[in-house]
Amino acid sequence: MSLIRYLVMIAILLGASRVAAQGSSLVRSDRDSTASVPAEVLVVLAKEEPGEIDPELKKLTALRRPPFNSFRSMEVLSRPKLTLTPGKDALVSLPNGRRVKLTLLRVMPDGRYKVKAAINRPNKSDYLPLLQVVASAGDPFFVAGQTYQGGTLVVGVIVDPKKTSQ
Amino acid sequence: MESPKPDDQKLQMFFDGELATEEEAALRRSLESTPERMAQIREWAQIREAMQTASADRTGEIDSDSLFARIEAEVSAPVISIEPARRAKEPVRAVPGGRERRVWGAVAAGFAAAAAIFLAVMARPTTHQDPNGVTAAARTRGSEVLEVDFGTNTGTIFEVEGGAGESLAVVWIDDEEVGLQ
Repeated sequence: MSLIRYLVMIAILLGASRVAAQGSSLVRSDRDSTASVPAEVLVVLAKEEPGEIDPELKKLTALRRPPFNSFRSMEVLSRPKLTLTPGKDALVSLPNGRRVKLTLLRVMPDGRYKVKAAINRPNKSDYLPLLQVVASAGDPFFVAGQTYQGGTLVVGVIVDPKKTSQ
Repeated sequence: MESPKPDDQKLQMFFDGELATEEEAALRRSLESTPERMAQIREWAQIREAMQTASADRTGEIDSDSLFARIEAEVSAPVISIEPARRAKEPVRAVPGGRERRVWGAVAAGFAAAAAIFLAVMARPTTHQDPNGVTAAARTRGSEVLEVDFGTNTGTIFEVEGGAGESLAVVWIDDEEVGLQ
């Protein structure tokens, strides 16, 4: 009989711990969904002519894989840090006169960030009217293809609570 | 005044005929005022009867010599020697009753173990894999495009592998070079 009670107690405790874990996860998710989060925008000028790859990009191995592997040189033009607040637009100017508009829509239950992005000239919608992505903390998404000074602009956006905004 | 309810252990001993005569009589009296316990006894009796019927049906399939040898071995096992005095009082019921209690105990323990394992599995974080063998944990890394409007341009969505094997979203849009405003 004691064995049965022991096993039933284990089952109850496991069930209770699962419920508690789900509850705390939901509470954390709700709390985080209203919090601001630091982000970084990486503006890179990539060219097919042979040249240097900016040392700052060494860790971004994704930029050495297709469709970026045709570029033989990469230069970091700017790396502005900003804070994304749910529902509020954050703007970053690009060297070609366009602006990146980023909006944190929400924090997903799995901890990823749902972000809306747009790249346009002021008061225009000539390039990228709308982009919605989900990204986990520290993992970038890229928007590339704008031609600039004989090269191509590669814009990377990284949402990362560990980064501090300026 | 209402008689106290017999505990499960005592009730089971009563069912198995393992109580002393006086104790059995006292318990029988107390059961008259506890219909739920009487129902429990009836339920056990039905289960035992069903088991005995099923057992009888299979008797022909059993090797009686080896079964007898097994019973002898179990009769000499420590379980039998725990309650020799009680068995001496009711020798006819002692051995089968003891065996059935062990059987029911094992069945109940089995159910409890199954429930514990089921809940333990349910309590584990889900690690579902898609057809490519990618776990849910791996899928939550990286970035992915939910929606894109290329406007008047043409564009392509790529997935690039990151340093940790995660999938990173790349939106590539062709355009004409624009000048500074």
